[in-house]
Amino acid sequence: MSTTVTTPAAKPPALGLRLPKKLATGSTQLDIGIVLLTLVVLALVMQELFVTSAMLDGNLSKRLRWSGDGVGILGTDQLGRDLFYRVLAGFPWSLGISGVAVVMVATIGTFVGLIGAWYTGWVRTVVLLGVSAIIAMPFLVLALVVIALIGRGFWPLSLTMGGIAWPAISRVIYAESRGLLTREYVLAARLFGVSQWSILFGHVLPGLRPTILVMAAFYFATLLIIESALSFLGLGAPLNAPSWGNMLSDSRQYLVNAPWMMFVPAGAICASVIGLNLVGDGVAELSRRRARAVEV
Amino acid sequence: MTDIAKDAKVAVPAGAAGSERQVETIPVFRRTMDQVKNRVIELLCLLFFVSTLLFFLLRLTGDPAAVLAGETGDQEQLALIRRQYGLDQPLWYQYFVFLFKAIQFDFGNSLANAQSAIGLVFERLPTSFTLVGIAFTANLLISIPAGAWLGSRPDRTGRKLAATAVFVMQGIPGYIVGLLLIQVFAVELRWLPSIGNQGPLSWIMPATTVASFQAPHVLRVISANVAEAMREDYIRTARANGASFSVLLWRHALKNAMLGATALIGAQVSFLLGGSIITEVIFAWPGLGRLMVTSVQTLDFPVVQAAVFVIAIFVYTAIMLTDVVFIMIDPRLRRQRA
Repeated sequence: MSTTVTTPAAKPPALGLRLPKKLATGSTQLDIGIVLLTLVVLALVMQELFVTSAMLDGNLSKRLRWSGDGVGILGTDQLGRDLFYRVLAGFPWSLGISGVAVVMVATIGTFVGLIGAWYTGWVRTVVLLGVSAIIAMPFLVLALVVIALIGRGFWPLSLTMGGIAWPAISRVIYAESRGLLTREYVLAARLFGVSQWSILFGHVLPGLRPTILVMAAFYFATLLIIESALSFLGLGAPLNAPSWGNMLSDSRQYLVNAPWMMFVPAGAICASVIGLNLVGDGVAELSRRRARAVEV
Repeated sequence: MTDIAKDAKVAVPAGAAGSERQVETIPVFRRTMDQVKNRVIELLCLLFFVSTLLFFLLRLTGDPAAVLAGETGDQEQLALIRRQYGLDQPLWYQYFVFLFKAIQFDFGNSLANAQSAIGLVFERLPTSFTLVGIAFTANLLISIPAGAWLGSRPDRTGRKLAATAVFVMQGIPGYIVGLLLIQVFAVELRWLPSIGNQGPLSWIMPATTVASFQAPHVLRVISANVAEAMREDYIRTARANGASFSVLLWRHALKNAMLGATALIGAQVSFLLGGSIITEVIFAWPGLGRLMVTSVQTLDFPVVQAAVFVIAIFVYTAIMLTDVVFIMIDPRLRRQRA
């Protein structure tokens, strides 16, 4: 049946872990997204290798200067620090915090979703009730409260965000794996006496891979926005850390004299978010196209 | 269809006796009631969960009496405060007292100015609702027509460019849009006030900010759905019957596209109240969000607890209403349930 594919795209495009090996993926969006994210990773590596603490030090005689004046690569902030180096130093903060959080979100979300789909009875009831209860919670508010109480910093922030944001993924994984669990290959595995955990993680989980990838990309972007928002409110990264949200928050007082203080971190945030959205959209489109190709 | 909705809304407080009788005649109604019952149970679980979390977080992270006394409090004052607020009682007792009072919407007085916490929250609600209401209306007024336009002929160059622009817009966080707006319209051009609630002119920028991170999302969903719908058989049939392009688009395709967008719009409504916090801070908008941020920063916990509680209730109401709207607008769902 797969030989009667009528679309000119002869081969279903590669998905998931095979992606980086090919340069062209078949989706323009995904290609652009990957290029953008590669640049982001390069920036991350660059800052690890080349940015020294001396470059991050300020020079008060050169404060609030525009790069057009020949001071700094992207201008300087209110303490005379070069915004270029500072925004590079912000990568581990902003991407690191949301990265840890998104790994947590994907892991917990998938696990709870699978558990809810496998069991029936009270386990499922508890899972579904809990998931929809946490979804209804005002996310940002709760994060604000928890961080105000526990304190700011890399780990409190990432663990809090990861600990609150997973239920939306759970709900999708739950719905999808219930569908997969009714498939014949799962029934066959059961009849062969394959254990519950190998069915869930060996047979069902691979089928969920595109979904998890797509949701993880979107959640990475969302968590990045939330992280910078919390830092912006002064309840995220430590005050002097070069997180992008902190930089934006600093820039508010100098909007009139030094608008570039806002544009530099804002550009970094937007580029990362758009890159992640592109990857998410691209993977979703590829898997849709692939599913259509198989069905035809 | 409106009858069903009316029944559901009217009958909620009507009690068991009345609804029992109607169950046999209108199964749809029972389905809706079941849904409502489930939602109410979920709401209670949520409120229980939230208040428990808030209570224990507060106890875990320090002595509330010390927070209440401030930096100047001595031992005598601490003991007095403990007795006054019941903090010398065992923890489980305090917890049950807290829960019992929370059910009655009593969260004690604000630590900052001794007003009732829940009163402060209700005082701020209308201002927040103004912002959220305007933003939501603007969101729908922009994204529905624009989405239909984009989705009607997605292959044309102009619309491809527009779609790309919308995609980029989606990647710009709301507070950055807010800062940009201030930079352009308040700092450079001096057209619009950027602080507080001073009449309609001051509503424009905050509302645009809130709408700017919601509209692109809705717009893209609607445009994708319209594009999908335009390829369906019923559109071809209508076209064969001589329907004009605008009738095809606005009456037939858009209607179907709205079905898929409703879930997203419902989710956005529930996100609005909590999600407008940052906008309120940027524009010094005297709403619930700013109240919450100030209270969190000054550790004014009664107010935070009251605000989270109220927002959770609103979020849940929004989710419930989305379900009802779904049944109202989708004839297939109605038939299936009847």
